[in-house]
Amino acid sequence: MRDDEVLIGSLMEDTWLTLDQVAAACDVEPAWLIRHLEEGLFPRAESVSGVWRFSGAALARARRMRSLERDFDAVPELAALVADLLEQMDEMRTRLRSHGGL
Amino acid sequence: MQFKDYYKVLGVPRDATAEGVKKAFRRLARKYHPDVSKEKDADTRMKEVNEAYAVLSDPEKRATYDQLGKGFRPGEEFHPPPDWNTGFKFSGHGFSPGEAAGFSDFFEQIFGRMGHGNRGFHAQRNFRDQGENHHAKVYLDVEDAFTGATRQISLHTPKMDARGRVAQESRTLNVKIPRGIREGQVIRLAGQGAPGMDGGHAGDLLLEVHFKPHPRLRVEGRDLRLTLPVAPWEAALGAIVAVDLPGGPVRVRIPKGAQSGKQLRVRGKGIPGEPPGDLMLVIEVVLPPANTPKAQEFYERMARELAFDPRQGR
Repeated sequence: MRDDEVLIGSLMEDTWLTLDQVAAACDVEPAWLIRHLEEGLFPRAESVSGVWRFSGAALARARRMRSLERDFDAVPELAALVADLLEQMDEMRTRLRSHGGL
Repeated sequence: MQFKDYYKVLGVPRDATAEGVKKAFRRLARKYHPDVSKEKDADTRMKEVNEAYAVLSDPEKRATYDQLGKGFRPGEEFHPPPDWNTGFKFSGHGFSPGEAAGFSDFFEQIFGRMGHGNRGFHAQRNFRDQGENHHAKVYLDVEDAFTGATRQISLHTPKMDARGRVAQESRTLNVKIPRGIREGQVIRLAGQGAPGMDGGHAGDLLLEVHFKPHPRLRVEGRDLRLTLPVAPWEAALGAIVAVDLPGGPVRVRIPKGAQSGKQLRVRGKGIPGEPPGDLMLVIEVVLPPANTPKAQEFYERMARELAFDPRQGR
């Protein structure tokens, strides 16, 4: 790639992340995602007329939950709880940063 | 290519039980967890630990590794025997082909590239041959969200060299930042992840956007928050003041009788977009110093004539 080449990416908009896109982006199987969605472990995903759609934050959540389940044999509910805590931590770090604290 | 001592990576003896291997892996997975680790090379170490665990946690792979590795010392030049059959159908043991694609050449020499036809992923997406998706965070200036920009982004990815050593590889990309980008959004650069295998697609690079701290502005989703200093007479009498924003100055009406701490919402003047965010102004009344005889006289006159007690009723 040339140094002066400018890459134009696509913005993964809140409204158009589909189940397959999230699964592919996070290297998880769609069946894994569906199982977790049906158990309510993705709080910010919503189903509109039977079609799931995701916010960008779902990407980080799916990767975190999958590695927690795999690395520690965590039950999905525990992985979801840890993901909740990590998301709260992210939010606080962001706030701290915007106050110049980090 | 150097021989990799997976036992050493996990810190277990060669006769460690399956339970012992698992325990060691979990301890290291906790230590190098990307969200909490304070170690500088946590990513690189976690990759090595994952690779070692993928081998030692699988009885079939572990036996193969032990058999092949007899007589090799760590760091020693390693070549698999010429008749070594890489046609085994090893499973990924919990690692997706995308992740396993990040394993070292040493791993590949012994076990072949994982995910060749035996993992049950969706074949129609050619998932098994697709390169790994890379994820990274980028820190932008708030100004970039107003104007859009092209930013140079440096990425450091751990990479195995031909000798099986792990080194940080740096890459610089010029990326177009769209106007109206918000904290937490993800920019997908198709094909900028790890290369695909056997003609498969390269993975994507997914950039998660965060803003650097700004001396005056705070970003809250689409909204911007800003402390607005005003003079006592502007607050008391009302005024129209200019507020400098990255998109250019805007004129804002301060309502009569505004007090410190009062918030004003200016619709549509936050991060641009459909819909744009709002600008939240927090009023801060700043007193002029009483450092000249004239200023002092003003204050004394106010004290005499206004009969004002700010603590009344509190």
